[in-house]
Amino acid sequence: MADPTTTRRSGQSGDDLRPTGAGPGRSTSDMHGGEQAANIDGRELDVALPGHLRALATRLTAAFEMLEASGFRDELTLLAPAERIVELLTFCRDEPDIRCELLADLSGVHWPAGKRTESAQETTGWPSYEFGDEAGRIEVDYVLYSLTHGHRFRIRVELPDVDPMMPTVTGVYGAANFMEREVYDFFGVQFQGHPNLVRILMPDAWEGFPLRKDYPLGGVDVQYKGATIPPPDQRHY
Amino acid sequence: MSETRTPASSGAGWQDAGEPANGRRLTPAVPSEHTVVGGDWQELPNAVEDDLMVINMGPQHPSTHGVLRMLLTLNGETVVDNQAVIGYLHTGIEKNTEYRPWVQGVTYVTRMDYLSPLFNELAYCLAVEKLLGIADDVPPRAQAIRVMLTELQRISSHLVWLATSGMELGSTTAMIFGFREREGILDFLEYVTGLRMNHAYIRPGGLAMDLPEGFQGRVRTLLTTMAKRIDEFEDLLTENPIWIERNKGVGVLSAEQCLDLGVTGPVLRSAGVAHDLRKSHPYCGFEQYDFDVITTDTADAYGRYQLRLGEMRQSLSIVRQALDNLPETPVMVADRKIGWPAQLGLGPDGIGNTKEYVGKIMGQSMEALIHHFKLVTEGFTVPPGQVYVAVESPRGELGYHVTSSGTNKPYRVKVRDPSFIHIGTLPAVTHGLSVSDVIAAVASLDPVMGGVDR
Amino acid sequence: MGLETKVPSGILLTSVEKFVGWSRAGSLWPATFGLACCAIEMMSAGAAHYDLARFGMEVFRGSPRQADLMIVAGRVSQKMAPVIRNLYDQMADPKWVISMGVCASTGGMFNNYAIVQGVDHVIPVDMYVPGCPPRPEMLMDGILKLHEKIKAGQLVERPRKNESMQDFRRRTGWIDPVEEPSAGERTHLPQVPA
Repeated sequence: MADPTTTRRSGQSGDDLRPTGAGPGRSTSDMHGGEQAANIDGRELDVALPGHLRALATRLTAAFEMLEASGFRDELTLLAPAERIVELLTFCRDEPDIRCELLADLSGVHWPAGKRTESAQETTGWPSYEFGDEAGRIEVDYVLYSLTHGHRFRIRVELPDVDPMMPTVTGVYGAANFMEREVYDFFGVQFQGHPNLVRILMPDAWEGFPLRKDYPLGGVDVQYKGATIPPPDQRHY
Repeated sequence: MSETRTPASSGAGWQDAGEPANGRRLTPAVPSEHTVVGGDWQELPNAVEDDLMVINMGPQHPSTHGVLRMLLTLNGETVVDNQAVIGYLHTGIEKNTEYRPWVQGVTYVTRMDYLSPLFNELAYCLAVEKLLGIADDVPPRAQAIRVMLTELQRISSHLVWLATSGMELGSTTAMIFGFREREGILDFLEYVTGLRMNHAYIRPGGLAMDLPEGFQGRVRTLLTTMAKRIDEFEDLLTENPIWIERNKGVGVLSAEQCLDLGVTGPVLRSAGVAHDLRKSHPYCGFEQYDFDVITTDTADAYGRYQLRLGEMRQSLSIVRQALDNLPETPVMVADRKIGWPAQLGLGPDGIGNTKEYVGKIMGQSMEALIHHFKLVTEGFTVPPGQVYVAVESPRGELGYHVTSSGTNKPYRVKVRDPSFIHIGTLPAVTHGLSVSDVIAAVASLDPVMGGVDR
Repeated sequence: MGLETKVPSGILLTSVEKFVGWSRAGSLWPATFGLACCAIEMMSAGAAHYDLARFGMEVFRGSPRQADLMIVAGRVSQKMAPVIRNLYDQMADPKWVISMGVCASTGGMFNNYAIVQGVDHVIPVDMYVPGCPPRPEMLMDGILKLHEKIKAGQLVERPRKNESMQDFRRRTGWIDPVEEPSAGERTHLPQVPA
């Protein structure tokens, strides 16, 4: 059985998506083009993060060596291995200078297998972006917030696409109960140790995990007179 | 039953079980085969051994705020356990946004928390603007109008809460009063945005159109009448012995429990924790407005009632300040590759492109025509990345966790809705209460099922 | 002073059907069935500003067994569809259904896996009110048109145009004990030994 909890080294949304430079007219004078270039490589901590988040990143990476910190638009993201998640979150909750009392959000994003390029839109002149790996992955993001210190950061765990499993954090934060059920319902991630891991928003006997990218949008074809409009997941624009 | 059955021999007549002679039933003879099944029936307690009874409340129930189903395990009339079953309004909005351009996401997202749609739009647009990197370029007039309208919507949402809670606890007057006041606010919102609900007015980069003429007078009248009406509510309910009896001590959730369960908003503030995202992480220029964060320390339903009344008054003060200091700038970001191409106006046949703008794109500027076409059909592209933006909605922290892969469509929009988290606290909140108190406790949490189920 | 002075000799003529239709339409009690945003507009329609009580409809019954009108206000998800069917079956005849808003009529803007594309896939609908959400006045317009439909309703079946009496009786399943069975038809009467 494949080890379900290996970390993926190259897996950050901001990191994988590098401009290929093949797009037309990437104007450096355009303010937004220039700003993107500084932030595309998310590891530019000095550029992206404010001071208190940089200090937090140093503190956390010192305590847990396997964490990888990155920044994007003034937000700190730490990539963590799935098997250490409970220990990590307990540390973040109990350590006095981190003191994250609130688990603000627990969500999933599915990056299916295969490389793909998003092509530029000619009017905007923005570059093309390439992303994806050979193996698909599901990332689970924990957003932690501290009321005492006022900082907020994200812990990201990456799981393989096929049969994703990781330990539950309901013992650390009670709020994770419903949120993990939702991630299970929509992506199929099994949280081991969860008290009641059943579907929460879909009907109980539903088959399939709707928010995965290989699950179709569904719905019915809309009838037009004399024209066929393809469903939204097949439109080219 | 023999095959040759005559009307005369079939017995007492049509009230008998069995088909009446003409084949048409007047009342259903057997219940429908369509039943709702829960996923965890096998874990329910045994009524014989434990002397516990399981009662199903909902999903259609006059007093559950929308389609919420609660399986109450009762010992006599005291609630021992409360399993909430949700998902009866699941609309797949998050998946729908992945197939539409960024601007069209606003119309989807606005229908989640349908009592405060502008908050959904605001948080989504703030997230998109953060991803685009134009968060500081949004004109100050747009920010001020956003503040004004969202605070008015906060008042309207609290009024619906008062109205429905009052009705569920027996006060039909509260219902009538609440919806009457709300009409004034909806009237103003219709004057500005064109719709009473689900406005799609706040767009990434600013607003769809500027405020129409004459709005100043309308807002000022609204502010004065609303202040008086909130006082009327106080007179009706605050000293009312029935209201106090039913709400004091009901639905207590201490501060530690709240934080562990992820509760934010009025419920957290009623436990004494002065946490308001408008103060701790100001957005839309909230740092320039002077208002108090109302807290109580009783952590019960009565405290939440007082808190929400106080919040309504604070919102009135914020609207007044925003109105007095409204800057004169455009309302859409200047970058023509992002901002909505036309500032809409009110014409003879409704809201649409103004005549001058149509003249400009059809007659004068080819580039403007191409921009308009591309922006409206495909939309702008957003550079890749992931952001989390949260605003203080009337129910709590409404967060948008938006991921972009560099195209003109979102890659993943995850909405952290406060009502979803609050429904997860139901076992803790309702433990040990009687069934009628369960209704008061759930009402005080103010869940909106559109946000819970998305 | 009123109607009584116009009526000759105090006699009022009407048909039972018109009378029953008028009374049904005059006090149509809706069942509380608000689902989503349209429910808020329905509540506004029932509140003081746009008053539904002037049509006799202010009592929104909690129990479907006491209601005759179901206003499906909001989007119907896949999980909710069996519940709606259950509630519709629990309502006593005569019953009517208004599908309020585009989500209930056709699925609305949510053409996806989670929403039933129109509640008429699940229950029969008498009146469709479009809008997202429909204004309270639009809902009242739909309700008033439904009132017209109810007032024009028939209590008993009548033969259709150009339909023979025999076909009519066969369609409605009417059994006449004294009807001579036509040649070749099995009799419904008990076989009395000759």
